[in-house]
Amino acid sequence: MLKKKMIKNFTWPLKVATHGVESTRLYPEVMMELPAAERGIHELDATTCIGCGSCARVCPNSCIEMVPYKYGNPLKNKKMQFPQIDYGRCMFCGLCVDECPVECLKMGKNVVMTGWEREDIVKGPGDIAARKHSAKEVAEFEAEAKRIAAEKAAAKKAAAKEGAAKKAPAKAAGEKAPKKAEGANDKSKNGGAS
Amino acid sequence: MTTASEVLSSLQSAFPGAIKDPRVESDARLWATVDPKRIYDVCKYLTDKLNFDHYSGSAGVDWIANNEMEVVEIMASHGAHPVVAMLKVRTPRDNPSIKSLTGLYWNADWYEREIWEMFGINFENHSGLYPLLLSDELMGVWPWRKDFKGYPDLTTGQRAVALPTANGYTEFRIPPTPAEIEAGTVPKERPKYPSFREREEAEIKSDSEMIMHLGPQHAMVPGPFLLDILVEGERVRKGFLDVGYIHKGIEKIMENRTWLQGITYTDRMCYVASLSNNECYCGAVEKILGLEVPERAQYIRVIVEELSRIQSHLIGTGEFLTLIAGVGYAPWQYMIIDREHVISLIESVTGARLTHSFVRFGGVRNDLPDDFAEKCKITLPYIKSRINEFIELFAQDPIYDLRMKDVGVLPAETAKEVGIAGPALRASGVSYDMRVEDPILVYPDLDFKVITGTKGDCADRIDVRLREILESIYIIEQCLDRIPSGPIKPEAKVPKKVPAGEAYYRVEDPRGEMGMYVISDGGDKPYRVKVRGPFYATLQTLPPLLEGVYVADVVAIAGSMDGCPSEADR
Ligand code: SF4
Ligand code: SF4
Repeated sequence: MLKKKMIKNFTWPLKVATHGVESTRLYPEVMMELPAAERGIHELDATTCIGCGSCARVCPNSCIEMVPYKYGNPLKNKKMQFPQIDYGRCMFCGLCVDECPVECLKMGKNVVMTGWEREDIVKGPGDIAARKHSAKEVAEFEAEAKRIAAEKAAAKKAAAKEGAAKKAPAKAAGEKAPKKAEGANDKSKNGGAS
Repeated sequence: MTTASEVLSSLQSAFPGAIKDPRVESDARLWATVDPKRIYDVCKYLTDKLNFDHYSGSAGVDWIANNEMEVVEIMASHGAHPVVAMLKVRTPRDNPSIKSLTGLYWNADWYEREIWEMFGINFENHSGLYPLLLSDELMGVWPWRKDFKGYPDLTTGQRAVALPTANGYTEFRIPPTPAEIEAGTVPKERPKYPSFREREEAEIKSDSEMIMHLGPQHAMVPGPFLLDILVEGERVRKGFLDVGYIHKGIEKIMENRTWLQGITYTDRMCYVASLSNNECYCGAVEKILGLEVPERAQYIRVIVEELSRIQSHLIGTGEFLTLIAGVGYAPWQYMIIDREHVISLIESVTGARLTHSFVRFGGVRNDLPDDFAEKCKITLPYIKSRINEFIELFAQDPIYDLRMKDVGVLPAETAKEVGIAGPALRASGVSYDMRVEDPILVYPDLDFKVITGTKGDCADRIDVRLREILESIYIIEQCLDRIPSGPIKPEAKVPKKVPAGEAYYRVEDPRGEMGMYVISDGGDKPYRVKVRGPFYATLQTLPPLLEGVYVADVVAIAGSMDGCPSEADR
């Protein structure tokens, strides 16, 4: 009986060894595979964020602050305020993501975060913005933004000259925030309009 | 089978006039306000005549608008019937005092001490009203009262005393300074009581006895609590527990957070069982809201909660085995590897590894990924084979036998009386599982056994946990077969404000019976959330269990409870 048990005790580790169980992870060299649902560092689609601040209000730890950021879409986000997240406080609960009305805030698979200072893990919209356009698209957006700005300027001039002489066929959002639109003119990598 | 309305009519005939505003919520829930003078007799009657042999805890509520304090006694039964009676006792706010139930129920001790230190409600005839969770200097400020202004109280500037320290910082202290005492401006008479140290030292009767400290930082448990044992030679004569080292005041924090934000705090009570905590809180709120959970969401919840039970039992058992070292290090490594697979499965659904914040009011956050069932088909049989091997491994190990068999035996009667919860209770042979007693979600449709032990010793406790894993795997397999397609969230938007009401919801946490008592006053925040945690109940039973055992067995017994002090302290 005892012999049988002893044999079993020897076969046990052998069995484990041949089970093909991944027991050691080669972490820094090989990142483990993360699922699609992973709640890692946020990814902001600055081109669609409307700056409503819902994410900042729902955050249990108040780690989201709305800060100005240049490379958003002024047609949608009039105040050009985008979320900045303090990862020193964030607990990756995902409530902000659920709350976003236009689904522009996501949580990605990036879970690595390092820094020497506390400020290093306070990530502004520029750090978490994930949407990137190709150079061609950026040029197109710039042209578009320029055109809108020009139209607006023309409309303004015309309006200044005579009350209702000429109606600029401007887009709906061209009425207000003309100055912000110029901001989007800058070498925007995240695009102006969508 | 006894139902809530039968219990009510029986009570009303036995105590005419003492039962006010009764409300029979369902067959299993009875709410009533009891005359403070009769509460002791009512509880005695319930226990003696109606099989309410499980005192499940009590909650304090501060009804500041009515100038009243309330204590809610939660009475249940160990399997005789499913009725939970929520008996409320009101007392004026100026000098709150109600009768203690410690004479009837041994385990009322801690619940009453907690209410006393948090709300300042005095319990008549309680023999040891000492602070439990709070530090000594917070005594007398009654932090969970609604008019508590914070610590230190900067709004009045009276209680908190700013003391500049030598290195240029300011320290806030609540106790009166000598100057204050001299000037007689001490705002309030502070209750006087012997400290923990004095209390335990008073028990030393002879020179042959001494006190051994285990903790607050001890390998025995994954969290801090102080277990002092009074030893005489090799034998433990008495055990003393000091908890509250990681008291986070989650119940109070949740009063200051919106309903939705509260979910994230339930995670942090016990990170190993965060899904059950989510479920418990959301379930209670759903009850008040009257929300129906779509069937698919119910199945998803059951699946992830059972997976979470598997990983919790694996780490609980593995960790415990390291304590009785020499036997345990290898299984610990095996179990932690296996647990990794389960955690990955959960992570693929919830997106987080431990603090899931996954359950939502009326649904869940994410749907199952497409390849989930396939992954389960690989992982679950693997875990099953491993668990079977663990069971076999322990059964044949003579050292394991010597250390575990007949150590820390807890007979069924004692186990019921001291109110121990979960696998530790079931190991004693008491079949008491919330999934059966108070069925939620789709559990009634599922086929599973409640695993029980026979003797209630350490070996049984481990065995029950391991066999529960097999049962959980069986549950998940059924769920995967049956899960319907459909929505995972309610169609209508969940309102930000929850209508006034109250609910008590119980789930089977990996550690046992977990209940949450949630009160809403119609606002966007909870009025009160009381957490009745399983390990709180289990931890309390340690000192009597340790009496008379060998010093070497203390760690085996305490460890076999699979503790989580974080949840006990909340
Ligand atoms: S994940 Fe949670 S804690 Fe982090 S920013 Fe979003 S809401 Fe706040
Ligand atoms: S990320 Fe979403 S919720 Fe936050 S400001 Fe932008 S649009 Fe609003």
